Amino acid sequence: MVAYKKSKLAYFSGKLLIFLISIVVLSMAVFAISRLTPTDPLQSYYGERTEKMSVEEKEWAREKLGLNDSIPVQYVRWVKGALQGDFGISYKYKQDVLVVISKRIGNTLILGGIGFVLIFAGSLLLGILCTWYEDSWLDKILCKVGTIISCIPEFWLSLVLILVFCVMLKWLPSSGAYSVGKENDLKDRVIHLILPMVIVVIEHLWYYAYMIRNLILEEVRADYVLLCKGKGLSRRQILFGHCLRNVMPMYISLMAISIPHIIGGTYIVETVFSYPGIGTLSYESARYADYNMLMVLCMLTGVAVIFFNMIGQIINEQIDPRVKASEVMETSEIMEQEKA
Amino acid sequence: MTEQELFAPAASRPETGAAAETKVRREKRPVWSMAVLGLMVLGCVLADVIAAKDPAFMDLMNYTRAPGREFWFGTDTLGRDLFACIWHGGRVSLSIGFLATLLSTLIAVVYGSLSGIASEWMDTLLMRLTEILLSVPGLLLTIFMQAILGPASVWTLSVVIGVTGWFSVAKVIRTEVRQIRKSEYVVASRCMGGGFFHILWRHLVPNFFSAIMFMVVMNVRSAIVAESTLSFMGIGLPLEVISWGSLLSNAERALMTRAWWIILIPGLFLVVMLVCLTNIGNWLRMRANRRERLI
Repeated sequence: MVAYKKSKLAYFSGKLLIFLISIVVLSMAVFAISRLTPTDPLQSYYGERTEKMSVEEKEWAREKLGLNDSIPVQYVRWVKGALQGDFGISYKYKQDVLVVISKRIGNTLILGGIGFVLIFAGSLLLGILCTWYEDSWLDKILCKVGTIISCIPEFWLSLVLILVFCVMLKWLPSSGAYSVGKENDLKDRVIHLILPMVIVVIEHLWYYAYMIRNLILEEVRADYVLLCKGKGLSRRQILFGHCLRNVMPMYISLMAISIPHIIGGTYIVETVFSYPGIGTLSYESARYADYNMLMVLCMLTGVAVIFFNMIGQIINEQIDPRVKASEVMETSEIMEQEKA
Repeated sequence: MTEQELFAPAASRPETGAAAETKVRREKRPVWSMAVLGLMVLGCVLADVIAAKDPAFMDLMNYTRAPGREFWFGTDTLGRDLFACIWHGGRVSLSIGFLATLLSTLIAVVYGSLSGIASEWMDTLLMRLTEILLSVPGLLLTIFMQAILGPASVWTLSVVIGVTGWFSVAKVIRTEVRQIRKSEYVVASRCMGGGFFHILWRHLVPNFFSAIMFMVVMNVRSAIVAESTLSFMGIGLPLEVISWGSLLSNAERALMTRAWWIILIPGLFLVVMLVCLTNIGNWLRMRANRRERLI
């Protein structure tokens, strides 16, 4: 997998092949695991009526939804449909899965997307600030506070903020993406977005800031910095013109890998705030066995994760041919800590 | 660049340039974190002695009482004494943290070493597989596992969290094993007929032990977070099994009645414990790094 030995075409087609195989395996795994769970999908289709249904009725319903065939048969049928763009209907919403998702995905993209930009900019700023004032009280305080904040569980932080800003102060709404009937009111949406956004940003910010802090701290100790100093460059010129530029490729590839984690990792926030995004949707679908919905959502996040991992790998390999694929894999390990 | 290197403060890395002389600083042992953590663990172990009240007793006359002389930390919406609940609940949270980490470490050690020792294509296959599993959101995996294992108890929840939390440690172990698997002593042991588990225990584990120590501590941390998050969302421990997470799971009602203590007190205990674990983990990480530099 060494980039510079192969032609560009072979390199990218190899990547594409691995990408496709990964996706197929992923779809099989999710399909099998979700169907092995004893959760009854009829419950998400018929809701509370399931309890009153007779055995025959249940049997008929299963037959109708195609749940009586063996798992491989069901899988082949699903793939056939999926290849033609038919992902089935959601059991709960009784609508085409894609229609349901397309209504919700915008909300998650707004929350995660703006969150990502804020995290990216904020962590860069904090990281530079910490290195500029290394070992001063500012750096020390930022490090201490950052460690503590990154220890706070997401759901508890949400609870505390709701308690303070929604219950005690009554400044902000505690749930939803907009008030009833104000779907297109921008101001209303922004107000609803503030708390979830704050949580998404706070939960990730220090993690990345600390990462870039350590990257730069290592960079400023490289030999070329001494040369720059000898040449008479100012501190700012060295830091921004040389060190930061050297660190950026590494950082950007890491951020590329983290895109799906930040944008897709809003489950808990969405659930606590009843924010109508795909986080709540996938939580519901996994809990109540809404199979078709679950498949599409898992494929969506899976494809995004695999895709951005590869982008990160490619950025690294193309910028620095010394980096072999295996080493880049290690950098992606950092992201996994966060998922745990 | 491995994770340890990336996170280590520059001071503990091999240094070049003028700063090297002045900036060498030994990382201090996190005495405070260790002491606080020790006290908390001790408190949980001696829960019966510390808290005279029965944590499961629902005092219907005194529900949602603010902290006071009778109920030091107040009572929750079901009338349970929070002070007793915290210490008894800590037992459950801690045991899940340790059990889950034990399980995930075991799986990671075996899987990572296998992958590290295996041939090139087998290794690629095993690692790709973990990557694919990693691309499924952790929360969903947990929900599936929990559904398969049946109603949640301390044991099933530990299994669920353990089984879904070993990927990153396995990867680090694999990298370490890849580096040492061709060393003379491993080859010699193989030639003398040493089996996989013999080599694993006698030669591989001592080598990557310090490298994964901090990850193991961090895994205790994430297992405790996972337990509380799952219990809070209603897919972990039920309300009757008292843990820090399940104490917070009736926060909705507490929010309506503005009962801040029901939310703040268990959460603060949780956060303090997590901060202590993090400090200890970071210290272990730096210590592991320092050893690397001496060699």
